[in-house]
Amino acid sequence: MSRARTAAIQLLGPIALIVIVGLLGSASSGAHQIDFVNALVQTTIVIGMYIFIGNSGVISFGHISFVAIGAFVAGVLTIPSVVKPTLLPALFPLLANHSVSPFASLLIAAGAGALFALVIGAPLMRLGGLAAGIGTLAVLEITHNLLRYWEKIGPGARTLSLVPTTTTMRVATIGAVVSAVVAYGYQRTRAGRLLRATREDPAAAAGAGVRIHGQRLGAFVLSGAVAGLAGGLLVHALGSITTEQVYLDLTFVTLAMLVVGGMNSLWGAVVGALLISFLDTYLGYAENGLDLGLFRVNLPDGLSTVILGAIMLAILVLRPSGLTGGREFRIPGLRRRATPAQPDAEEEDGGAAPAAETSA
Amino acid sequence: MSEVATAVGLAVEGLEVAYGPVTVVRDLTLNVEPGEVVALVGANGAGKTTTLSAIMGLVPAKAGAIRLGDRSIAGFRPERVARAGIALVPEGRHLFPAMTVEENLKLGTIGRRSDDGLAEDRAWVEELFPAVRDFSGRRAGDLSGGQQQQVAIARALLARPDVLLLDEPSLGLAPKTVESVFEALTEIRRRGVTVLLVEQRAQLAIGFCDRTYVMAAGELRLTLTPKDAGDSARIVAAYFGS
Repeated sequence: MSRARTAAIQLLGPIALIVIVGLLGSASSGAHQIDFVNALVQTTIVIGMYIFIGNSGVISFGHISFVAIGAFVAGVLTIPSVVKPTLLPALFPLLANHSVSPFASLLIAAGAGALFALVIGAPLMRLGGLAAGIGTLAVLEITHNLLRYWEKIGPGARTLSLVPTTTTMRVATIGAVVSAVVAYGYQRTRAGRLLRATREDPAAAAGAGVRIHGQRLGAFVLSGAVAGLAGGLLVHALGSITTEQVYLDLTFVTLAMLVVGGMNSLWGAVVGALLISFLDTYLGYAENGLDLGLFRVNLPDGLSTVILGAIMLAILVLRPSGLTGGREFRIPGLRRRATPAQPDAEEEDGGAAPAAETSA
Repeated sequence: MSEVATAVGLAVEGLEVAYGPVTVVRDLTLNVEPGEVVALVGANGAGKTTTLSAIMGLVPAKAGAIRLGDRSIAGFRPERVARAGIALVPEGRHLFPAMTVEENLKLGTIGRRSDDGLAEDRAWVEELFPAVRDFSGRRAGDLSGGQQQQVAIARALLARPDVLLLDEPSLGLAPKTVESVFEALTEIRRRGVTVLLVEQRAQLAIGFCDRTYVMAAGELRLTLTPKDAGDSARIVAAYFGS
């Protein structure tokens, strides 16, 4: 199988799955359409996280910062100027006096996510492992508190409302597809290969001449742009948003999606995002009483998060590389037959080395 | 490597490296003349790998000078050392196991200062190490130990380094495979690449290299030439610090 054909099939899987979910959502009843839109927006968020975490192997707890920035930028910029003095009286004049179209707000949200990622990533990407993870968590805290208490840039602790609800099923599907194409395109580039080399063996990559900081920063900025776009899609799907909706719960759920699906592949990111999104949604319904026809499910409050946590733990223990094994989509039977390596009976070390697991 | 390169030497002077409070390399001075193959031998923990790591910038040097030709490279980050003209084949090969052999080789070219002669260099390493051609589409992690060693050295050579650092190239390999690695080293030397080699098989290294430094407890204890290869008593004494 040619490399181009392999690449086309690998990209086809995630895109087909996203489109199928979009079509099913369009055919579903009105009340449930928002669940499908939400699943597609969360898929876009997870794809954004995958671009950095999946390719670099560095865990980030801070990507929801970019989603939050994107959501509030897109929301504030699309509320009609005439109602801003009432809703957001303390806004900077630049934000108070200008409004843009929802489409333009998505582009600005992506740009804001990328710019914020560049500013915080420049020093942060010099860290690795646990230090990087803690650093990104600190960024999440800082962003959350800035948005929550600085009313010159948003509603503060109140709800940002009257945002145009323009993220339809079609828009959410297109957003997720575009993100998947960007993510897959990036990982096929030279920069993507270099970053994955730093994931597998940072010392060897640096020794080969790879600039680890530069490669990580590039992916961080790209993933910030996609996460910012996802934030824009989110606020235009909900019509209103608070800082709590783009904080710890969303961080936990989206990381669970990436881990469950398999953080080393785009296919894993998409499968995990859609699976956990629907599971989370219906577990949430069950906490409020879910009618399944023959019987009614009533879960205690908070149990949905407990179940999600348990699933994440089970995956980490039983299948550390996720449901997809960290592999890209492939059609069974179309795999290229591998030429076996020449048996080297003389080797004293047994030959083949194990594949590297993602390191944080 | 399409033609014999103008060789560049490597000099280390007064190198000191510590991991926290423990000094593992002390006042190390060694010189590898342009085009020479020089070995570092010694018991485990003597500081050989740390010396290579410090030259490569993978661990910080506490003191000392490192010069590539007439250029000081002390304090450089590893990627800068690589681009300056030094390539390291680490102990255990450190290939990117999930990537194909071809992708591993492409990564080797990152450190090149110019793409001029890349096709010729590629042809040369394929001739030197047939495994890189025969298994170019295979995952590097699926190859045998000997094949991985071939790919690791080929990857380093594609950076067209002035100086090649090799850490335990014979580790875990059968005698026949070791022989083929050293045959390749002969060809690499012929091309004018300066080589600093860490090797556990002391007799092999002493017989093959222009000079061999024996290290013990982080210090240089002895310098040997090929004619000393049979002097086992002297080598053993240096190894164990007596």
